[in-house]
Amino acid sequence: MSAFGVLLKKELLDVVRDRRTLLLTLVLPVVLYPGLLAVMGVIMNLGKERLKNEPLIVATVGPDAATLLARRPPPPKTTYQPKSRAEAELALKDKAIAAIVDVPPGSLAGLPEGKQVVATVLYTKRFDRSMQALDRLKPILQALNDSELTGRLESRQLEAEFVTPVKTDPVDLEFQKDLGPLIASRLLPVLLLTMLALGGIYPAVDLTAGEKERGTLETLLVASVTPTQVMAAKYVTVALAACFSALANLAAMGGTFGAGLALGPTTVTVHFGPGTLAMMLVCLVPAALLIAGLALAVASTARTFKEGQALMTPLLLVILLPALASQMPGVELTTATALVPLLNVSLLVKALALGTVQPLHVVLTLVTVSLSALGALKLAASAFQSEVFRFSGTDGWKELFRSWRKPV
Amino acid sequence: MLLVTNLHKTFKTRTGPVTAVDAVSFEARDGQITGLLGPNGAGKTTTLRMLYTLMSPENGSVKVDELDVAVDPTAARRRLGVLPDARGVYKRLTARENIAYFGRLHGLDEATIARRTTELAKALGMEDVLDRQTEGFSQGQRTKTAIARALVHDPRNVLLDEPTNGLDVMTTRGLREFLKHLRSEGRCVLLSSHIMQEVAALCDRIVIIARGRVVAQGTPDELRAQYAEASLEDAFVKAIGSDEGMTA
Repeated sequence: MSAFGVLLKKELLDVVRDRRTLLLTLVLPVVLYPGLLAVMGVIMNLGKERLKNEPLIVATVGPDAATLLARRPPPPKTTYQPKSRAEAELALKDKAIAAIVDVPPGSLAGLPEGKQVVATVLYTKRFDRSMQALDRLKPILQALNDSELTGRLESRQLEAEFVTPVKTDPVDLEFQKDLGPLIASRLLPVLLLTMLALGGIYPAVDLTAGEKERGTLETLLVASVTPTQVMAAKYVTVALAACFSALANLAAMGGTFGAGLALGPTTVTVHFGPGTLAMMLVCLVPAALLIAGLALAVASTARTFKEGQALMTPLLLVILLPALASQMPGVELTTATALVPLLNVSLLVKALALGTVQPLHVVLTLVTVSLSALGALKLAASAFQSEVFRFSGTDGWKELFRSWRKPV
Repeated sequence: MLLVTNLHKTFKTRTGPVTAVDAVSFEARDGQITGLLGPNGAGKTTTLRMLYTLMSPENGSVKVDELDVAVDPTAARRRLGVLPDARGVYKRLTARENIAYFGRLHGLDEATIARRTTELAKALGMEDVLDRQTEGFSQGQRTKTAIARALVHDPRNVLLDEPTNGLDVMTTRGLREFLKHLRSEGRCVLLSSHIMQEVAALCDRIVIIARGRVVAQGTPDELRAQYAEASLEDAFVKAIGSDEGMTA
């Protein structure tokens, strides 16, 4: 086996045996999304059920309010209680009641004459019980309106159409089928880059700053290998970890959200053909290599693991910026944007999800990202050529770019 | 054999340049243990790092068995067995895996690695921990693993930075015997230490280094004669001009 092969095998073994890396990059996301969805679903259902069965008191202000509401049976688990407006508002503020129905005195008498009764429902969005009371009152008040309206139309021998001269008739042309690609085009670019970055940064820090802190880097560089071979093995390891993490995340997320959406009232279909999926994977590899190179170059400037972790936060933001930019209105994959690393990957994924991709843009994106990935490898390797990085000296950034100019 | 000629090394610091190594020259011969003796911060580790090619001197040269390390550092490293100050043992690998990893990096075949691992484990008395992951190893177990790893490719020249640092009395005694065994095999052993007694007990030749410069070198008898002192300890104090490094 070549020196690179030996180094790579050991780095992978090290990563696989590192429980923290496995937990952060693979196990946690795979367990996290289904777990979160399940917990959120249970909590939401329990909350809904609890509110549905909660006994609520609704204050009626004035005799007309009580009389009006008495025309219909109250909603389940709801009691009306007459109060003055001031008392009722105080009680609502103290959460003693859930809502108030206020009807101006004497207005009910005007109903047979065709006049309007304004039933003011006072509630607050500050607590769920009040919102629930409003939800319970709405159908009652609507039913009262409908029955009164029917009576008035009958007495005047008018058809129901009289009050709705222009009727809105929404027709569903099953545009919902397009909702899947649309959601995917919004979610996937951000998720892919986030997952690649999250999957790559921890191993990158561990394999550079971590090695430096543990003293193993010095030992390794004393063996009969070149710094470039050492960094290349780390580079491939980090890129593989990033890819596996992203794929595991996407699979878990796809499964979870697929199941979650199927449970809902809308049927959202997200279907990618094998060609689209293969193209996404092809994008994933150079993007992972680019992110691995950046993460290794930055992490190499750190003296300790902790310092490396602190450096990863701004890097994460830098990586996510193009992903977020790809979501801006009007930003699409063009010949120009295909030349911007990471932004082009985000836009390509977006275009693949929407089915609007053009072959020239794919080629430009892959070439640009691959060249940037090579540059990132050179930058990362140059870090290991430098004494400053090997021995945790100062002036790390200046040295990084100085050593970049040297041949690796 | 190691031949060090006129090494210079300066570091940039926030408060200005610091000369860590200044015109250091010495020779470490085959079949001898040479001690690089000096107080903390004298420049021993920097000198060793230039010897094992991880630092480049601004001036001067290092030859390993006639091979200039500046010309072919990788070939020079093949002839060196190095125990750095940090030891650097991979904690998620077993001791055996640590040793084998470096054996493979030096291009050894699996049979040779297995044989060397067995020999070194026996010589260092570490057979019982060979298949344990090194996380949780004692300082002594870590040092033994690091030495075995450094010697797996059977190098003629062995460089050890403060090899007995943090070791208990029994492990130190065992390690000293092992170093004598390496000498008896005809290897060139160069160790750095700030502990006078250790160097006195082990070394055939001593290079005393202080403030980045070689202030004296020779056999223990030559050093005693040079400073007209009956005890090596007193000669050392005279050589460096202070009593730093006297405590074991």
